[in-house]
Amino acid sequence: MEPEIARSWRDPELLIKALPSVLLQTTCFLAPLLMTFILTFQRTRDFQLRWTWDLATWIEIFSKPHYWTILIHTLVMASVCVVICILLALPAAYGLATRFKRIENEIKILITFAFITDATLKTFGWVLFLDKKGGANFMLSYLGFPPEMVAFLFTDWATLLGMVYNLLPFAIFTIYLSIDSIDRSLILAAQDAGAGKFRAHWEVTLPLCKPGIWAGSVLIFLLGVGVFLEPKVLGGGKSPMAAELIRQTFETRVNWPLGAALTLVLMVVAVFVVLLISRISGMRRAGL
Amino acid sequence: MNHRLEAGLATVLLYGAMAGVLIFFYVPIFTLIAFSFQEGRYLTLPFDGFSLKWYGELFRSAPALDALWNSALIAVAATLFATVIGSMAAIVAVRYRFNGKRMFLALIGTPLAFPQLLLGIVLLLWFSVLGRWFGFNNGVVTAIIGHVVYIAPFVTVIVAVQVASFDPVLEDAARDCGASIWEVYRYITIPLLWPGIFSAALFAFLLSWGNFYITYSLAGSTRTLPTFIFSGISIGSTPLYPAIATIVFIPGILLVMLANRFRLRAQKL
Repeated sequence: MEPEIARSWRDPELLIKALPSVLLQTTCFLAPLLMTFILTFQRTRDFQLRWTWDLATWIEIFSKPHYWTILIHTLVMASVCVVICILLALPAAYGLATRFKRIENEIKILITFAFITDATLKTFGWVLFLDKKGGANFMLSYLGFPPEMVAFLFTDWATLLGMVYNLLPFAIFTIYLSIDSIDRSLILAAQDAGAGKFRAHWEVTLPLCKPGIWAGSVLIFLLGVGVFLEPKVLGGGKSPMAAELIRQTFETRVNWPLGAALTLVLMVVAVFVVLLISRISGMRRAGL
Repeated sequence: MNHRLEAGLATVLLYGAMAGVLIFFYVPIFTLIAFSFQEGRYLTLPFDGFSLKWYGELFRSAPALDALWNSALIAVAATLFATVIGSMAAIVAVRYRFNGKRMFLALIGTPLAFPQLLLGIVLLLWFSVLGRWFGFNNGVVTAIIGHVVYIAPFVTVIVAVQVASFDPVLEDAARDCGASIWEVYRYITIPLLWPGIFSAALFAFLLSWGNFYITYSLAGSTRTLPTFIFSGISIGSTPLYPAIATIVFIPGILLVMLANRFRLRAQKL
């Protein structure tokens, strides 16, 4: 990479190019976040926002275990989703980076298309597949299995399946990129030194693609705590996750301050979990 | 011998994992395509018969066509803004060093890892309060703004890869030959970055086109294809929705292939 050029903010070259992004993300990302925080201290009465400064909303959140049960359920689902995604993505991404050179581009196109296709549609596709009279049961009974064997639609398992399905590409992409940038000769050196494939993988490749695994995990976790489509469509809305709770608070209960506060709690807790885990894994690395 | 066994096992594992993942990815997609040819009204197997009836139905359905038009409008506008803003930010992020660069990078990067639903809700609150003060309603424009906030960082990441492999000496050479700043951009920088910008634009279009969460929060009463489908499937559905899905798949796969070709060309430069 070439050296960076030093520029001051008075230089129009920098100003013209940086200003639109800065303006956009301050007025339409930072400012709304700040306002969300301010809203939590207000109240709604008769479906109208009242500008009163008090802590009623926060007291309600910390006094009702109901909210925290849903939050913990959400965090557990997101964590399980992260683990499954990483386990599935590791061999697939490794293979994509090291094998199948001839069809690499075709595979990439297939994965990108699956990733980019509207999540509503794909989730709906799973409903059709898992339904009592859907694709899976039809095929299984055709093969001679008893009827209606696949019956986990509208449970947490279906939600989890949908989450893994929609978030798996993030893990594949990040891990693929980190493996792709590993110096291949390191692995060959390990093999020359007598390590078997699995040992070379375990002791050389895996530690080197840790950043990719980590980036993928963080991304999937943060996106996973915010899912709404999967629990609603595949989970049947029976055990709501945090996003569904937030949406109901806004739309059904029209309680903006509470919704805003729940949004912030979810964000802060999610970021806190990420920081905590990175701290723990960081300390472990330092201790080695 | 042991090594060969291991190598064999590794091959089986890697090929198996890749095949498994691809099958997993395409199960719902092929299910949708299959169900779009169902003749009867209900989305259950076995089919009453195969027909293209629901495709005809689709082109007579005014709400569906309306949603299609809104999707296209929002996606084109969002792509345009996100590509311009995101590409400029990419040049800044890779090429320049300045005070507050870390803050700049954090500011333009955070929306990438921000849950979309929450981004939508936070923006919904913002626009609702602003709307009450300035007297506007949520609709196409607010949806476009939401999409740009979410998509511009993706553009930045994609274009930044291209900027990193770009030799700034070329710009210096043009400048030494007497080209103005504008001419350098017009004849050197933009053409050389074009493959990256173009594939980023395609990606931006697809992200906006398929976006559910942000549109759902910000589009007011305007429906795009994803929100139209969402409201349809929660009521109880007909093969109309799988038919929409199949129609949407065709431009999707073509655009992905086009973007890939540009990405490959970008790598060769």
